[in-house]
Amino acid sequence: MPSGSGFSECLRRRLIFVGGKGGVGKSVVSEALGRAYAAQGLRTLWISFEEPTMDPGACLELSARLWHLNCDAEAAFEEYVSLKIGVPGLARVFVKNKLMKYLSQAAPGMHDLVSVGKVWFERDNYDRIVVDMPSTGYGLSLFQSTANFAKLFRGGPIHADAVAMLETFGDPSQTAHIVLALPEEMPLQEGLELAAYLKGLFPQNPATYLVNRVFPRVPGLRDSKKASTQGPFADSFAEYIASRQMLETRNLQIWTSQGIEPGSIDAFPPPQDTHQEALVQAVSRHLAQRYLA
Amino acid sequence: MSACQKLIASRKIIVTCGTGGVGKTTVSAALAFKAASLGRRVCVVTIDPAKRLATSLGIGAIGDTPVDVTAHFVHAWAASVTGTVHALMPDTTKSFEAFVRELAPNPGAADRVMRNPIYQIFAREFSGTNEYMALERLYALNREERFDCIILDTPPSRNTLQFLKAPELLARFFDERLIRWLVLPSNKIVSSGMKMALGLLEKLTGAGFMTNLLEFAAALFEVRARFSANLHRVMDLMRSDQVGFVMVAALAPDLADEVNRFAHVLRDQRFRLDGLLLNRSLLALRPGALPEAPIASSSEWQRALEVLEGLRARENGASERLKQTGVQILARIPELARDVHSVEDLAHVARALD
Repeated sequence: MPSGSGFSECLRRRLIFVGGKGGVGKSVVSEALGRAYAAQGLRTLWISFEEPTMDPGACLELSARLWHLNCDAEAAFEEYVSLKIGVPGLARVFVKNKLMKYLSQAAPGMHDLVSVGKVWFERDNYDRIVVDMPSTGYGLSLFQSTANFAKLFRGGPIHADAVAMLETFGDPSQTAHIVLALPEEMPLQEGLELAAYLKGLFPQNPATYLVNRVFPRVPGLRDSKKASTQGPFADSFAEYIASRQMLETRNLQIWTSQGIEPGSIDAFPPPQDTHQEALVQAVSRHLAQRYLA
Repeated sequence: MSACQKLIASRKIIVTCGTGGVGKTTVSAALAFKAASLGRRVCVVTIDPAKRLATSLGIGAIGDTPVDVTAHFVHAWAASVTGTVHALMPDTTKSFEAFVRELAPNPGAADRVMRNPIYQIFAREFSGTNEYMALERLYALNREERFDCIILDTPPSRNTLQFLKAPELLARFFDERLIRWLVLPSNKIVSSGMKMALGLLEKLTGAGFMTNLLEFAAALFEVRARFSANLHRVMDLMRSDQVGFVMVAALAPDLADEVNRFAHVLRDQRFRLDGLLLNRSLLALRPGALPEAPIASSSEWQRALEVLEGLRARENGASERLKQTGVQILARIPELARDVHSVEDLAHVARALD
């Protein structure tokens, strides 16, 4: 497994977006990274979008130096408008107005813009901001909408802010875009697509790559009987583990054949229920040891 | 009769839903094979930009018209079958344009809409349009009477429900009362609150945007009535007993909650939930023989085993919790030890649907 020593560099930037296909572990990895930073003494904000278990717009202090913000479009919109017009009461009336609700729901780009705008506005309040991006399609739309609005509005404060946001996100000294995937074909392919899209938006700030849940490699273990004539299912533990490691190695060539040297995170025994505390701790220590030392 | 056979026998249209990464496209294609093996004339409609289905079917590409893949299927099934299999991938951006042209009262009005910058962004990015166009395509395909079984593989989404909410979101966009406010701003019913909102919006967005917005709204105003007639037609079909919804999922601790939410939304929308297809199951694995001694005692083997056992235990626990939802499990498909890249492999998966 390549250790991706070059991956460490991107973790020194202030603003870190963790993106990728649904189910690749963005929440666990971004929280684990946030914890690792806080443990190093850095003031850290971990941001999620529309997290169902938290109140919209809530910001909780998880531990020393670590905060968790549940970014909510409507709350961010109200905050933004009140910042721009300077009258909080009026902002509330405006955001709650039926027509505004209609426009912002029907054209979700508005929600994207204010959500990612909230991330941007927080950038000077912390040493590190780790953003758990929504899954691929929607995650990209956060940036795409910002670019759209920069074009669509030819003047006014939204235009100016959108332009400034794009500049920050496109600057490799300030922002890292991490493409996270599992060592499976589809997430790796989608990871490449995500990176290509990001390159279109931020040509000066190429994405960095991270692969999650790499199954432990057992040297010398051979795939005893899998021939292509047999079905695609495994029968025994040893056969599963052997074919799994072969499959992962082959899948990772989707990235490595493009000259990509991804960072990697080992697979840990999964949590047995919906509480992932122990897993997050394990991944956090692993990341700190491998990339933050 | 197995649960999958019953499903295929009772529905003309089967909609597969699920989050990304659970193998939904593979399972949908396998379900199509299964139906064809039972003698049905099947069309599998996929909205998977990764072209995975085309790869596994051994064909170059799937387009907006049904491609006949029966020969591939018959070869892989290696038993006599009377059914047929077609595959189709709707071009939703192209068809949305065609759809708007069809709705517009005249070509000039259609051109005006297409030129509007707000429309251009809307058509490309509004999350409801692709989903809605897939349903429109399904409706047309169903009317053709060329197939007696249609499997709709819905686009992967962050949450399973997004697809189902799309038509409602789109309908809200065409909300007559609200468009009226925009189109007829001099209307007496415009309240002072609305005037304030529009004024503030103009201030925030700069000049130009409001003009585009009003023009866009005027265009929507022209097509709203026909749009809502279409929408009702499509939704009536989806709510009829010809259509069954199936959730494709992998067994994870939060699956029971997800299934409950899914069942709830389906009930609300008056759709029919036929059950669950559980994919990527590790429970069928048997311990089997250990590898040779030096390997079996290595720390790497111990760690690999620990991860595997953890995954299996988790699946077992999730399986127990799932029972409380009362939703039927149609089949459990073992996790693949390699990627499905051939029709033969797809046939193996189809056989696991029993």
